[in-house]
Amino acid sequence: MDLLAYLDPGSGSMILQILAGGLAAVAVVAKLYWGRLLAFLRIRKPED
Amino acid sequence: MSTPTETSSREASRLEPGSFRDPESRVFYAEGGVYRTLSQQGLEDFELLAASKLFERFTAAGRLVATQLLDKSGDLPEGLVKASAGVLRHERIPFVSYAYEWPFSMLKDAALLQLDLTLAALEEDMILKDSTPYNVQFKGSAPVFVDIGSFERYREGEPWVGYRQFCMLYLYPLLLQAVKEVSYHPFLRGAIDGIEPAQMRGLMSGRDRLRKGHYLHVFLHAKLEQRHGDRGKEVKAEVKQAGFKKELIVANVRRLRKLVERLEWNPPQDAWVEYGECNSYTSDDARHKDELLHEVCVSQPWELTWDLGANNGRYSRIAARGSRSVIAVDADQGPTELLYRKLRQEGDEQILTLTMNLADPSPGLGWRGLERKALPERGSPDLVLALALIHHLSIAANVPVKEFVDWLASLDTSLVIEFPTREDPMVEKLVAPKREGLPPDYERESFERVLARAFDVERRERLESGTRLLYFARPKGTGSPIDLTAPEG
Repeated sequence: MDLLAYLDPGSGSMILQILAGGLAAVAVVAKLYWGRLLAFLRIRKPED
Repeated sequence: MSTPTETSSREASRLEPGSFRDPESRVFYAEGGVYRTLSQQGLEDFELLAASKLFERFTAAGRLVATQLLDKSGDLPEGLVKASAGVLRHERIPFVSYAYEWPFSMLKDAALLQLDLTLAALEEDMILKDSTPYNVQFKGSAPVFVDIGSFERYREGEPWVGYRQFCMLYLYPLLLQAVKEVSYHPFLRGAIDGIEPAQMRGLMSGRDRLRKGHYLHVFLHAKLEQRHGDRGKEVKAEVKQAGFKKELIVANVRRLRKLVERLEWNPPQDAWVEYGECNSYTSDDARHKDELLHEVCVSQPWELTWDLGANNGRYSRIAARGSRSVIAVDADQGPTELLYRKLRQEGDEQILTLTMNLADPSPGLGWRGLERKALPERGSPDLVLALALIHHLSIAANVPVKEFVDWLASLDTSLVIEFPTREDPMVEKLVAPKREGLPPDYERESFERVLARAFDVERRERLESGTRLLYFARPKGTGSPIDLTAPEG
């Protein structure tokens, strides 16, 4: 699903929203950085 | 983004030039009403909103602009039906105002309304596609959210698109005023999109990192933006992949709400003092002035009164007795802030408080200078109060007396104007630091000549202290002028 908004949400602002999610965000943050680690180790392509 | 109001109803249907950013809905003025045309997507979003609990609840509380979906086969103003899937009609807001004219508490109340609507929308699987104070208007002191087109279905996995805009146009300006005691008005007037995260970080000190919420919403926000600014596509994919969910937005909005609610700004002490009882009036003067104002204000029904240099709003309140709506303008944020707080407490829906320097008033802004309008383009007054004002403009801002009177005449309005003579203590105080002394045109006889040329002056009265004169005048050719060269009556 793509973002259809007429407003640019801002890349930094999108990431920040994960960090601002408090307790609800713990799993999401973990997944975000796990994905980045896999991408860094070339196990997964970053844009999958 | 849009502003449901209108200034005249001469044409069949006119597009609001400030309403082009959102392709799903546009605002028109026609036959004295405010209309919104919707695309197919816009119509679907509206139907979702109209069926929601929040629509009923916020509309009933006056926090959402009253709106109805019109029958397209019915009798609609010309030019509205073609190429649109649906047409809405909105309640008309008496006078449009902008965030760079609001004192602190108005912007704060608008921010809280924006967040409350966002939370309520999320509860029913909707969201607002933007977060700008230009979507909030004030009916007197009551904030009303006017951009019905902002509501849309929430799409699972997507972040809050309006978060960055909320920071730039609500949170940062409020922090600037509350934490740094720096007025946000020139910042918002200077940039239609507000203050960027990196700019805001530059305006804060290292110590501010420790304040609640500041590190996250300002410092980290700016850092992440710097690092990921050009990675829009990857970040979008990453965020979705990581399992972004609605609960994260809810948590963020709740925290923001707490943060905003705690922010406070109090005007400097001298504003409080002035607010209590302004300037150098004796009680006889004040009583005389009240009486004359009352007589003029209730002598006929007025549609819109501008009280210029409103200070504590004493005369705005008198004007409200006979005027459908009043705007109380003061160059100083202190008195407008205090007046707004009081009016809000009273539940007033007639008097709109605006912070604006008349020697440097709000210009047209945005694309082609049309997205935000200058003051007179938002609705002409039929009565203007210019009390204890002309000496400030003439002496402090060097505006020629004739220029000022001619500007008032260009508004095609009736007028109550006060002229403090050269002997008035306030005039002496203003002139003291100026090397040139009084401007040569600041003189009673020449003022009266200029006034009589631009207006039909019907009344002239001298206040008891002897150094102040009040005049009531109607637009040229509409009144029965008295002879100002004759001795005072």
